[in-house]
Amino acid sequence: MTHLFSLPLFWAALTIAAFLAGQQLYRRTGNNAFIPPILTGVVLVVSCLELSGVSYQTYMQGGHYLNLMLGPVVVMLAVPLYQFIHTMRKQWLRIALAVTLGSGTTIACAVLLAHFWIGDDAITRTIYTKSITTPVALAISEQVGGISALASAFVIITGILGALMIPPLLKTLRMDEPQTLGLTLGICAHAIGTSRALELGPQQSAYAAMAMTLTATLHALVLPWIV
Amino acid sequence: MSGLLTLLIFLLLGSLLQTLLHLPVPASIVGMLLLLLALILRGKAPDNLQRITQTLSPLLPLFLIPVSVGIITQKQLLAEHGVELLIILALSLIPGALVSALIMRKGGKSGL
Repeated sequence: MTHLFSLPLFWAALTIAAFLAGQQLYRRTGNNAFIPPILTGVVLVVSCLELSGVSYQTYMQGGHYLNLMLGPVVVMLAVPLYQFIHTMRKQWLRIALAVTLGSGTTIACAVLLAHFWIGDDAITRTIYTKSITTPVALAISEQVGGISALASAFVIITGILGALMIPPLLKTLRMDEPQTLGLTLGICAHAIGTSRALELGPQQSAYAAMAMTLTATLHALVLPWIV
Repeated sequence: MSGLLTLLIFLLLGSLLQTLLHLPVPASIVGMLLLLLALILRGKAPDNLQRITQTLSPLLPLFLIPVSVGIITQKQLLAEHGVELLIILALSLIPGALVSALIMRKGGKSGL
C-alpha cells in the first residue's frame, strides 16, 4: 500500500476519479450550483491525503500532470471572449462600466476588510484575486506574491456565496431583470455564478459567462500593476 | 488536436513576449490576448479552436483540483483566520453586486 501511495500516477488517477465522482454528484442533484464538481473533487482528494498521511508534495508529483493543462486553458478563454465581443457591441459602455466598477468595489471592500481586520500581507495579496475565475486567479496570485492554494479556496467560496446570495438580494431590491442578474453573477461569482445563471435562464447565463470572462481579463491586466 | 497545438503555440508566444518585455502579466494571459487579437484580425474563430474549446471546457474543474488541494498546506492559517475570511468574503460581495446591478439597470434606462 505504501508503495502504491508513493506512485505519482496513482494520485493523478485518483484526482480524475474524484472529479468524475464530483461530476456525477452534480448531475444527480440536478446541476446544483452549491455543490460544484471541483468542490466535491477537492474534498475527496483532501480526505484521501489525510487518511493515508501522504504529503502534498508527494501528491503534487502526480497532480502536476493535470496542473500542466491550466496554461492552455487560460489561452483558450480568448475563444468565448471573441464571441462575446460581437454580442456586447450595443451595450458595451454600460457592460464595461458595470464590470470595472462592480468588480472593483467588491475587491476594494475585501482588501480593506482583510487589511484592517487580519493584517496579514500574504492574505491581503491573495484576496485581490477572489472574484476571478480560478485558472486566472492562480496565475495572478503567483505573480503578485499571494498564496495560490489559498487563492483557489477564496475563489471557490466566493463563487458559492455569490451564487447563494446574489439572486435573492437582487430579487428583494427588484433589480433581477435577466440581463442585470446574469451580469452581476458573472462579475461577482465567476464560473460558479455562471453555472447558477444557467439554471435561471439562457439570457442570464450568456450575460454571466460574458461578465466572468471580461472580469478575469480586466483583473489579469490591472492587478499585477497595482498590487 | 490542431486546436490544442494552436493554444500551445500562443502560450509559448505569450511566455516569450512576457520574458522579452518583462511584463508583470502572467504568460498565459499574454497568450490569451495574442490569440484574441489574432481572432479579431481573422474575423472568425476557426473550427479546430471551437472544437478544442468544447472538449476542454467541461474538464476545466479537473485541472484545478491539484492546486486547490494545496489548501491542506494552509491548515494553521485557516484555523486562525477562517471565520474572519468567510465573513469578509460574504460581506464584500454585497456592495459589488449592488454597484454592478445599478449600473446595468440605469444604463438600460438611459439607453447607454
